[in-house]
Amino acid sequence: MPGQATNRAMFWRIIRRLLGANRGRLFIILLALGAGAAVTAALLNLQVDAQHRLTTEFRAFGPNIIVAPKRMDTETSPPTLDSSIIERIPKRFEAQPVDVVPFLYGLAKAAPQSGKNAAAATVVIAGTSFGDLQRMGSSWRFERVGAPTSALFSETECMLGASVAASLHVQAGDSVALHHEANVDRTSCFVSAVISSGGSEDNQLFVDLQEAESLTATHGRLSLVQVSFHGTGESVNRYIAALGSALPDAEIRPVRQFTEGEAKIYKRISGVLTATVAIVLVLSGLCVMAAMTNVAMERKMDVGLMKAIGGSMRRVLRLFLAEAALLGLAGGMIGAAAGIFLSVGLGKAVFGVAARPRLIVYPVAVALTIMVAILSAYPLRRLASIRPASVFRGEA
Amino acid sequence: MFLRIVADSFGRRPRHKLLTGAALALGMGVATATLSVSLDVGDRLAKEFRSLGANLLVTPQADSLPLEIGGVDYRPVNAGAYLPETDLPKLKTIFWHNNIVGFAPVLELPVKAMLRFRDDRRSWPPNRNSWPDLLAIGVWADHALHLEDGAYFETGLEKTNPWWHILKGRWFKDDAEECVVGKNLARQKEASLNGGIPPGWPVGDNLVIDRGPSAPPLFLKAVGILDSGGLEDDAVIVPLRVAQQLANQPGQYRKLYVSALTKPEDAFAKRDPKTFTPVEYDRWFCTPYISSIAFQIQQELPGTDVRVIRRVAEGEGQILRRVQTLLWLVTGAALLAAALAVGASSAASVIERRTEIGLMKALGAGSGTVGFLLAAEQLLLAFVGGGAGYAIGIILARLLGERIFGAAPEPSLMVFFVIIALAGGVTILGSALPLRRASRYEPAPILRGE
Repeated sequence: MPGQATNRAMFWRIIRRLLGANRGRLFIILLALGAGAAVTAALLNLQVDAQHRLTTEFRAFGPNIIVAPKRMDTETSPPTLDSSIIERIPKRFEAQPVDVVPFLYGLAKAAPQSGKNAAAATVVIAGTSFGDLQRMGSSWRFERVGAPTSALFSETECMLGASVAASLHVQAGDSVALHHEANVDRTSCFVSAVISSGGSEDNQLFVDLQEAESLTATHGRLSLVQVSFHGTGESVNRYIAALGSALPDAEIRPVRQFTEGEAKIYKRISGVLTATVAIVLVLSGLCVMAAMTNVAMERKMDVGLMKAIGGSMRRVLRLFLAEAALLGLAGGMIGAAAGIFLSVGLGKAVFGVAARPRLIVYPVAVALTIMVAILSAYPLRRLASIRPASVFRGEA
Repeated sequence: MFLRIVADSFGRRPRHKLLTGAALALGMGVATATLSVSLDVGDRLAKEFRSLGANLLVTPQADSLPLEIGGVDYRPVNAGAYLPETDLPKLKTIFWHNNIVGFAPVLELPVKAMLRFRDDRRSWPPNRNSWPDLLAIGVWADHALHLEDGAYFETGLEKTNPWWHILKGRWFKDDAEECVVGKNLARQKEASLNGGIPPGWPVGDNLVIDRGPSAPPLFLKAVGILDSGGLEDDAVIVPLRVAQQLANQPGQYRKLYVSALTKPEDAFAKRDPKTFTPVEYDRWFCTPYISSIAFQIQQELPGTDVRVIRRVAEGEGQILRRVQTLLWLVTGAALLAAALAVGASSAASVIERRTEIGLMKALGAGSGTVGFLLAAEQLLLAFVGGGAGYAIGIILARLLGERIFGAAPEPSLMVFFVIIALAGGVTILGSALPLRRASRYEPAPILRGE
């Protein structure tokens, strides 16, 4: 039907003219819609990212799972695990990384290498890897010194808990002599840091795992493994269940203090975030609507003219709704892209790490903007009651 | 005349003014709600973080080094120092005493003990040396501490270790001969008792503790099963008084866990207090930083070391800081959006009154008078709308606060003033632009409708 084709061509032509008629107004509408879309996209992206980032942030609390040997009643010395257990711990679970730090504990005699009051004391030595230790204890205070200058080249490195350092009268930078309680072989180590954690680490002397093995005369054994799983709530429980079936010979203990507390706090924080973000979204929607409504009311003349030359109200409305949808699409696409870039910067400001742009946010923000644009064109319905004659007389 | 014109303007178009006012109230309401919530969120979350338990540990200064591996202390028995229980009420006399949520003294000691079925009252196997070695932890479960000012302070483990759950039964009473058994120990009961016991938790059974060859064993009734997820699951928890009696250290404890509400440490708080000037020192002392609370506790309890449990304190501080920054950001966005909405609607209301402005000018009013008149009208609207918005916002904040934290934020006068000032400022700014344009209007074309 040629009539319909002409109709459609006319429809689009009118829309083109409507959009192009007033460049300044077009710019203002696009600005309002774009700004709304940008805020929407930025907040949505930040919200998704923040919830993910918080679970990582919770790792400041340190390990949330302890893998320990099963307790035997008959054993007198502390039970140990075979060190092959490290390989059997799943290092990734539900796409979340898992940090694993092995520990071997033992008792050794320690004495300051130099000094008048050389008070020897029995201490708990903890063999581990220093790199992992610092990552796991990100909340501890490390009182460090630089590389050893006067110390012997062959000396190994060790870190002292604050209480150990205090009772040995040793500071970071000194050297400590170590030997097994039943053995006279002495080794000495350079104290590279003094750790204060407020926990049992304050009473321990940290050495390299191999050094601890030679001091305690064991090989291939571990006292416990600290595991830090980046997740909260249910996913931790699922990981613990998976660990339990992977390591039937060990005892898996969630650090309940943190797993429970974290789940609770996470719920609260994400509740606050969701609520405030929802409020801001509603508000920016209202803001865009207010701007659009003003524009719509200015169209009284156009509507009057269309009605005067015989346009039915349905067709007139369809015209304006199509215009609004088009504007929403354009504003949304520009604004949402800007918003996602904005959220990357904001994420950096809040969490120190740039927020990862999430693609799902983009279509959601654009769709929301189109919806707001169409909704705000809705007051045009009131124009149905306009009588062309009175509009042209400048009355209504 | 001035007031009459303003009153007339409201009276003549009540519906229109109502709409503008409603937009204002809505925007300001949302701004109030987000502002109230983010002002309050720090305090609320700090309370929430107390579910992580104690953040300070008090130990005797003269203590020997604990040799603890896997929860077993390899120190010789009776090595180490103790602290007097009678000093504890002093904790509630420090400057930040209201921030001390709870504390619990602990006395741990190894015992030889076993569980006996409830019918075997006052009978025990003779070969005491073969009884299993257990760790007994003496604590306050829920203790009403008599303070110096005559008040009572409810404290104990339930405040400092909220993640310790009682699986079955209840906590012991501090003044009764009762105890709580760790869940792993309770499960092993059958093995250690050589059968003859019905399966199930040993609630109501007796724990028999060896008190040396010269005294009869101590009988404690097991009233609950503890699930802590930690090493305590293999121990028995007894009232502090009983542990003191068993260790022969009346009125003494070995470590004290303190849970305190704190402000996250900033760069200032991380400095060494010794380097402070007197003014800085006062500021530090009068801020509830974890370090200043630790310092005040140490002053009240002589001979102690007060250590910050870094895992709890630092993690809390870091997360609180991040969340607050994020919320301020979102609040900023909310305020901006509200300002834009209000500004836009007040701009629109000025534009709509071009004819009126033209008429006033035609009658000889200067641009200043017209601007002043319109500004007064807008301000009146802003104050009314802002006030209504504040009321709406407080209700909204209440709903939000109750949903999220189970407690509503306190309405704050500061928020009220901020909101009123914001409403006034934004309407003036929003109307300023169209008003400037209005001042250039020539009356004649407007009145002709051009």
